[in-house]
Amino acid sequence: MDRVKAAFEDFGRMLLFAVEAVAWAFRPPFRTDLVVAQMAFIGVGSVFIVAATGLSVGMVFALQMNYALKQFAAEGYVGGSVAFSLARELAPVFTALMVTGRAGSAISTELGTMRVTEQIDAMESMAVNPIQYLVVPRIIAATLMFPVLTMAFNVIGYGGGFVMGVYVARIPIGPFVEHTREFMEPSDIMHGLLKALVFGLIVSLITTWRGYAAAGGARGVGEGTTRGVVMSSIAVLVADYVITFISVGA
Amino acid sequence: MIEIDDLWKSFGDNQVLKGITLAIPKGETFVVLGGSGSGKTVLMKHVIGLLKPDRGAVRVGGHEMSTLEGKALNEARRLFGMVFQGAALFDSMTVFENVAFPLTEKRFRERPRADEVRARVIEKLKVVDLGDEVLDRYPSELSGGMRKRVALARALVSDPQVVLYDEPTTGLDPITTDYVDGMILNAKRKLGITSMVISHDIASAFKVADRLAVLYDGHLAAVGTPEEVRRSEDPFVQRFLSLWFAKQ
Repeated sequence: MDRVKAAFEDFGRMLLFAVEAVAWAFRPPFRTDLVVAQMAFIGVGSVFIVAATGLSVGMVFALQMNYALKQFAAEGYVGGSVAFSLARELAPVFTALMVTGRAGSAISTELGTMRVTEQIDAMESMAVNPIQYLVVPRIIAATLMFPVLTMAFNVIGYGGGFVMGVYVARIPIGPFVEHTREFMEPSDIMHGLLKALVFGLIVSLITTWRGYAAAGGARGVGEGTTRGVVMSSIAVLVADYVITFISVGA
Repeated sequence: MIEIDDLWKSFGDNQVLKGITLAIPKGETFVVLGGSGSGKTVLMKHVIGLLKPDRGAVRVGGHEMSTLEGKALNEARRLFGMVFQGAALFDSMTVFENVAFPLTEKRFRERPRADEVRARVIEKLKVVDLGDEVLDRYPSELSGGMRKRVALARALVSDPQVVLYDEPTTGLDPITTDYVDGMILNAKRKLGITSMVISHDIASAFKVADRLAVLYDGHLAAVGTPEEVRRSEDPFVQRFLSLWFAKQ
């Protein structure tokens, strides 16, 4: 019972933290240099892992779809299936999970270390609000960069699918591309980018909170990081379901 | 300068401070002595408004630190410099960026020009006997004693009226400890700063204090000049001091 109560209290504190962070995002001074630095860390620094995952997912998904659709002599639809699945589902979710593992864990660890070594207290003692200085730039950067990385995942994933479909599975290039055009609407891409935006906000809020609230030395930082990554991953999957349900219904 | 009035603070079931009352006049170096976990740091964090009391009040330079929030609290914090136990230097910044931080983070119209910032950083590093060869180093490249000195330079750079020292000599060798004591005395002598020092280092406390207090079980077991505290009849104070004096 105590653990349930503690979990609710923790969730409540995280909500208050989120409200405070959002409020500080609209108050000067606006720290664009820190936002740009975080965009470089979260965005540019994650390009390799996102590209590698996108390429792998696109290639494997194209082979699997080819295997399934060949049974109905419908291989020409592989391109459309790959693009549609990537845009609406695979790209935003895989990107969010990969970036959570790379950048989210680093955010929790960095802020957690700053908390337990009193760097955050020091900042506060110098009349600088640590939420505005440390948390807000990370949240803005993640919320902006998750859609950009998701778009990169889409492009690279489709490229991988194209190579597998056209050059390995020998699907004629005409039907592969034409069915992609038929299947895809701009709204499919927007749907995936909207998800990415929400995931970026959720992941950055959770991982900054777990670092900011860390206590108890190195062990506390480690626990905070683990909880940040696990909670973010679960929250991404739950949010994915909710957005999809609202968008397409049962 | 600093007035603490009937200060109470607990964390869960743990009652850490039980009605602390004391006053520190301007220009005085006041040391709070106590064992580990006696609540010394908690007391200091109330003075700068990092913690809020359950009951009681803390006033510094006319500011009610226990009730201030937001901008007003930040305004009051401009009176302070603080040296943290582990130095608490920002490890992603160089020495220059660390020491300059309180200046570069001032409001736009109060912020000094870049060349003035550099001059003041170098000047404060000189006060703690560090040259400009350390400016581009990161905290991880400094020794423990150097980190403490950089932390003191950072605390002094915005010319505070009050400097708080949290365990300034913990973990330092005797020579560096002696040096840090000298720095505290120098800061008072040259800059006329009011200082509050939290420590369990009895030798250091008796060396730098104008007055001192011994914190035990949430109460101040003794308050006075070093000589008065030494003559205290409180059993804990006698036991606490006897081990060290016996060695001398």
